[in-house]
Amino acid sequence: MSYLELAGLQKRYRDSVAVDDVALSVEKGEAVALLGPSGCGKTTTLRMLAGLIDPDAGSIRLDGAEITRQPAHKRNMGYVFQSYALFPHLSVARNVGFGLEERRVPRPETARRVEEALGMVRLSGLEGRRPRELSGGQQQRVALARALVIRPSVLLLDESLSNLDAKLRDAMRHEIRDIQRSLGITTLFVTHDQVEALTMCDRIAVMKRGRIEQIGTPEDIYERPATRFVADFVGRANVLPAMRNGAGAISVWGVTLPATAPADGEVDVFVRPQRIRLAASGEPSGEGMVQLTGRVLRSVFVGDHVEVIVEGAGGQLSVEMQSGTKPPAAGTEVAVLWQAGDTLLFPREAT
Amino acid sequence: MTAGSRLPWLVVPAALLLLAVYVWPTLGLFRTAFNEVGPTGAMIEAWSLKTTGEVLADSFTIELTLNSLWLSLSATLIALCMAYPVSLFLFRTQSRFRGLLAVIAIMPMLVSGVVRVFGWLAILGDRGLVNSLAQWLGLISTPMRLVFNWTGVTIGLAESIMPYMILALLAGFGRLDRTLEEAARSLGCTPLRTFLRVTLPLSLPALALAAGLGFVLSMSAYITPKLLGGGRVFVLATEIFEQATTNTNWPVAAVLAIYTLVLLLALLMFSNVAARRLQR
Repeated sequence: MSYLELAGLQKRYRDSVAVDDVALSVEKGEAVALLGPSGCGKTTTLRMLAGLIDPDAGSIRLDGAEITRQPAHKRNMGYVFQSYALFPHLSVARNVGFGLEERRVPRPETARRVEEALGMVRLSGLEGRRPRELSGGQQQRVALARALVIRPSVLLLDESLSNLDAKLRDAMRHEIRDIQRSLGITTLFVTHDQVEALTMCDRIAVMKRGRIEQIGTPEDIYERPATRFVADFVGRANVLPAMRNGAGAISVWGVTLPATAPADGEVDVFVRPQRIRLAASGEPSGEGMVQLTGRVLRSVFVGDHVEVIVEGAGGQLSVEMQSGTKPPAAGTEVAVLWQAGDTLLFPREAT
Repeated sequence: MTAGSRLPWLVVPAALLLLAVYVWPTLGLFRTAFNEVGPTGAMIEAWSLKTTGEVLADSFTIELTLNSLWLSLSATLIALCMAYPVSLFLFRTQSRFRGLLAVIAIMPMLVSGVVRVFGWLAILGDRGLVNSLAQWLGLISTPMRLVFNWTGVTIGLAESIMPYMILALLAGFGRLDRTLEEAARSLGCTPLRTFLRVTLPLSLPALALAAGLGFVLSMSAYITPKLLGGGRVFVLATEIFEQATTNTNWPVAAVLAIYTLVLLLALLMFSNVAARRLQR
């Protein structure tokens, strides 16, 4: 049995189901992301874990003990809120020491642990400040220190980086990941940001409309998405409508693919733009490659890569080329190549 | 024409009205305060501080002041204890009836003070609801005196200032945030500890604001002390009215009015400073 076990967790609101039959096992020391678009139930799941809302059904077990109905203040979960939720009437030190004071930890030990926690998030010297005198990034660190100092059973982070600017967010991602790893603290992140999920976690649970669509390592999720939704939500993908011929073979832009469709019905082909290579038209394709032909429509310099839009017989697709390489001029006939193994097939969704 | 140059014209009607119905009479009040009262009770035009001196030296003035302060304090505290939970609920509720509930909470403001007093007489009088019920239950044999004394006035006054205090609290709850309470819960606070460590400290500015308002309203209330006091309750407001109408002793009424005004201004400034201090 895992350290943290969610089973059949459900939360209904008047006219909708926010969380539906969520099951998740988290090992001790593991970092798991709940990833999904807004309204997918990821925050509701996290809040049920913290005891801030009661589930309608299902169970939560922590270290073998049932905690489904345990009140929030007895759960010892470190919760970092999206808005940080620092107490405006208390100093930084009192904010961080808040949970220790509630636990009646002796004063000298509280002082020592607060100092240690502030050192860990690199905020030493700001003990006497009020939260509103701090920058967003500093407030975020105080919130993290406040959650960590109580040595929580599980650390819960609710969109904790979404209020920071891009550069700070990058830095904090690594910092939080380092702290999480060095303390070996079991962590659940809620995020709608796939980069956050991919870089900060051991495993990702992708959620959609209250259900978990797929659970796996970042590589699994990215390389082997189980559903069309996961392929679409995590990373970018070209979606090419496929034709099915009599023998069950699949063709795109008039080219037959070395793959067979798993089920009946219409299917779409997904290919990641960075897995596609452009070559001169007419160049012979290698073994196990899919080759389409098209004409370059335009190319856009994005900074870390160049996006090339190619138009072919069945529509457009986007190719990511390394920055610094010279993209072919608009109007050039090109061959579009990718490894057959990089092809993903999903049933077309009814629109 | 810019908005800046247009604005002053928009306040002209209100300014003129205030000048006519407030500033001018107040100046008249100050003027009257310098007049003297002759042995016959007639007003003598003068520029002297004789009346002021007499009023301030009168032990009855001290008694009236203490009465007013005590009544206002108790009515404010009672009203605050009732208004705070109501306002907290209204501030937080997700109910779609929130607007309706807020209107109900401040509904008493829409009823005339006189009508409210008669309502209280029906509830607190010798044959009122409370006494009838207590007697029927056998708790008491003779009716309790709940009106025409300080008890009745305090109850009535607390009720009449409550809607204003609810509004003041709702306006002052700016920093109160449900997430902060959740943070406290996640850090190990029981609901009671959460209230004591987070909710209450963060509502202090609102409480100070509401208390200041309730106190000022109580100090200047006339109808409730007059009607529910049954002639046994003497406060500054009732005395000013008595002097101005029954005794037609305008200089004394004027001095008492200015005295009350100064007292209220001082209290308002104090409550403002306190609220600002707590806001930090």
